[in-house]
Amino acid sequence: MNVLPWIVAAWLFGIGLYGIVTSRNYVHLIGCLSVCQSATYVLLLGIGFVWGSKPPVFYDHPPGTPAVDPILHALVLTDIVVGAAVTALLLAIALQVQKRRGTIDPRRLRPMRDPE
Amino acid sequence: MSERGRLAMLLAALLLLAPVAWQVALALPAFGFPTSAYGQTINALVPHMRRVSNMVAAVNFDVRGFDTIGEELMLLAATTGATVLLRGSRGENIGDRAARLPGRHLAGRADGTVLVCRAAAILLMLFGVYVVLHGTVTPGGGFQGGVIVASSLLLVYLGEGYPAWRRIARAPVLALVEGLGAFAFVVAAAVPLAWGRPALSNILPLGTWKDLFSGGTMVVVNAAVGFAVAGSFGLILGEFMEETRGPEDEDMPDEEHR
Repeated sequence: MNVLPWIVAAWLFGIGLYGIVTSRNYVHLIGCLSVCQSATYVLLLGIGFVWGSKPPVFYDHPPGTPAVDPILHALVLTDIVVGAAVTALLLAIALQVQKRRGTIDPRRLRPMRDPE
Repeated sequence: MSERGRLAMLLAALLLLAPVAWQVALALPAFGFPTSAYGQTINALVPHMRRVSNMVAAVNFDVRGFDTIGEELMLLAATTGATVLLRGSRGENIGDRAARLPGRHLAGRADGTVLVCRAAAILLMLFGVYVVLHGTVTPGGGFQGGVIVASSLLLVYLGEGYPAWRRIARAPVLALVEGLGAFAFVVAAAVPLAWGRPALSNILPLGTWKDLFSGGTMVVVNAAVGFAVAGSFGLILGEFMEETRGPEDEDMPDEEHR
């Protein structure tokens, strides 16, 4: 039972990786990358969790009440925001690929050659 | 490489990594028990030292505030990159209307949609501002609230259509909001240096616990992050929306009539 969160994180990462490897479309691939990234959310929140504790926001309960680790929450927050921005950047690149090469199937894309 | 070859390589790699991952999972600290003295120390000390109630905001904007500058600049860089990529390839000779497939019937919006979107966009933006403002007190803060504010702009598109979106969510304004937000964060970090204090030292009056304006410098930094995030997400949404613009010379009927 104690290893379940870590196994869930590893499983999420694994299925994301499977999607990336078998992907036939860059948009789908970027979605799979987000699944891989959600493994990090599960891992970080799992590490920060404390049984029988409250959220690290001391508004309804006074300071001193047992609370979960705020650092991991801050890290997940950072993770989500940067992840969203990077996803946007990757989608912009996928659009570029579609415009220049006419396809976003990773398997039909060959390395670019010198135009000589 | 063939499909089979890829899958075989993935399977081999996963089989190799699985025992390692299992060992790591067993070696990780037991689930549900405090792992870092750092986090628990922050929970114990910061409510009194900074008079804020939201520890996550305190970590982001004060205790580890310098890391958040790095993250903020990363967000700025990713947004700039996406914007430059999209704008660079778009060219000049495009009209200011969304392209449409010839002969495709486009139904007008229902009045109900417009009404709901108008009301919801305003309420959602107010809610976003509320979440930003209460960042140091209740769950929320600049990052979360900024995204909510940016998504309220999407409701404008849903309710009013593309031309109205372009009139309201202007890219230069959003870029300015984003840039000024990031700039204010850096200034808040640099000002204490003038007094010989470490960067991002809390030099403003701390206020009272559970009050809207508690946390001193954190209030400024929180608002700066709210502006920067709202600006950058709005800008990215707008740039992707601009991708739908059709060529200028194409004779297109007014598809946004209702």
